[in-house]
Amino acid sequence: MADIAVLLKQVPDSNAKIVVSGGRLDEGSVNKWSMSPYDEYALEAALALGGSITAITCGPERAKKMLTDAAAVGVTELMHIVVDDLTTLDSNQVSSILTAAVQKTGATVVFCGKQAADTNAGSIGPSVAEKLGAACVTMVSELSGDSSGFLALRPSANGMERVAVSAPCVLAFDKMSTELRRPNVKGIMMAKKKTIEAMSVSDLGVDIGSSSVTLDNQSPPAEKPAGQKFEGAESVASVVSKLRDEAKVI
Amino acid sequence: MAYEALDFFDVDALLSEEELMVRDMVRDWVDEKVIPNIEQHYLDGTFPREWIQDLGEMGILGMVIPEEYGCAGMSYTAYGVVCRELERGDSGLRSFASVQGSLSMHPIHKFGTEEQKQKYLPRMATGELIGCFGLTEPDYGSNPGGMITKAEDKGEHYLLNGAKMWITNGTICDLAIVWAKLDGEIRGFIVEMGDEGFTAPEQKGKHSLRASVTSELVFQDCKIPKDRLLPEAKGLSGPFSCLNRARFGIAWGSIGSAQACFDAAKKYSLERIQFNRPIAAFQLIQMKLATMLREITKGQLLAYHLGLKVDQDDWIPEFVSLAKMNNVDIALDIARVARDIHGANGVTSEYPIMRHMNNLESVKTYEGTHDIHNLILARHITGIQSFTRNLK
Repeated sequence: MADIAVLLKQVPDSNAKIVVSGGRLDEGSVNKWSMSPYDEYALEAALALGGSITAITCGPERAKKMLTDAAAVGVTELMHIVVDDLTTLDSNQVSSILTAAVQKTGATVVFCGKQAADTNAGSIGPSVAEKLGAACVTMVSELSGDSSGFLALRPSANGMERVAVSAPCVLAFDKMSTELRRPNVKGIMMAKKKTIEAMSVSDLGVDIGSSSVTLDNQSPPAEKPAGQKFEGAESVASVVSKLRDEAKVI
Repeated sequence: MAYEALDFFDVDALLSEEELMVRDMVRDWVDEKVIPNIEQHYLDGTFPREWIQDLGEMGILGMVIPEEYGCAGMSYTAYGVVCRELERGDSGLRSFASVQGSLSMHPIHKFGTEEQKQKYLPRMATGELIGCFGLTEPDYGSNPGGMITKAEDKGEHYLLNGAKMWITNGTICDLAIVWAKLDGEIRGFIVEMGDEGFTAPEQKGKHSLRASVTSELVFQDCKIPKDRLLPEAKGLSGPFSCLNRARFGIAWGSIGSAQACFDAAKKYSLERIQFNRPIAAFQLIQMKLATMLREITKGQLLAYHLGLKVDQDDWIPEFVSLAKMNNVDIALDIARVARDIHGANGVTSEYPIMRHMNNLESVKTYEGTHDIHNLILARHITGIQSFTRNLK
């Protein structure tokens, strides 16, 4: 099995309270940071295949904890590209950093989530693939593989399709039916002993230029309007019209 | 709504990174597997087997025992944190882990032969073998030294006769650590399920710890091979050594119950509207919440410091008595007050309150009653024991 690099991002936990202050997410108010859920599936897929796995993350100091979490479930190598404030970088810059990190590991197979739970941009997988000159399969929900390549299930215009792909390749994972493995106490004890290879962007020797995106303002999603209740057969026409014209679901 | 663990003084910041990882592992598992199912198990009076398998896979059964026996060799503080997170789910779940680790695996590790350790501990760590602990008898609870269960040396084997009561995991056990008098001295024996003359009928009709198996152990001319005696345990210090470790887990665990009740009461009081405002806006409710926070914070500091002392091997059993007694006491008070705050809803299985409250009645009683721990502390203060006296 080829060496696999798994790209992981630490994001506010899906249960964490999000506070926006001064037009920016107040990171200090986030009481729990976790591995982005789709990245968890990418990691699980890599662990299920076995072999040497390098977990790579780009982020501030706190992201180390997520790498240790990855080590606790069996990741062998850990790489941390330290960037104090990810919001100052655009997706293109982040993918340049991650591409350089992947190249440094020598891995020819890259797994990542289809999108991160905080930005939901979905650009890293295809962008890293492009920069590596590798094949890319996105929204993978099932995977089998051996030393010659992988068979990945992904949605298509006509339903689902199974795609054969071989290294070099990037696979971006959707939610899978596989249950995620849980760490155990022994894994946690082992993880503590694992060294995290930490480096800066300049250590990687990659020129990422300047950001082409300016983050103007962040705001919480608008509150949902109160629900409406309809009773009796006479309301059917009105409900259908609301579902079609307002909710736009039919 | 997601669980928010009250930690007002940020006591968990004192934990090591690995202790925090273990906390999160167990907390996530409790959220995922226990919380959605516990109310039904409690109502049905069942304890699911798959939880035992999960506890084994997580490696938290007997987690303080060294790695050479298939365990993790972690700190007592880590064990305490695990107990707290399990009991946030249910006291019955924490009881399972306490009985397996502190009351069954610990005596084998501390008092057993190398062969006994190798035979049982690795399989108990995975949950493949389930242990129980037989000390209490129908007529001997707070006074275990009066036990009438008796072992006789028959040359080829020991012959065990007697009965034990209130034994967690008894009916589902693969082995029981049984304390019995041999020539008038209390000794520990490993009795295996399937040994002739050993039965373990379940005790039914509990209003407390319903998601936990409680049993009688009955020995009628039960033959025990000679190599099942725990050679290093003689006298009451044997079972008390186990109880101290289990009580340690209770001192932490009960804080988990209290945190669960506080979390529920806080959310409920903010959502429940009476007189056109959330009941959390009323001073009587505010005082209740503040008192809960105050007592939980003190209990957390007590548990953490006890963990530190035990990990430094600088402790006396009275430390454990104080922490067990105090933390269960405040947890039970908090559960009762949380029940008040929830009004009629507090008695239903929609909320975890009444379950925790009922469970804590048992927790207050087992592993040394609240009153007995007071007497242990008073003996320490005065140098005078008040357990026995001659009545005229």
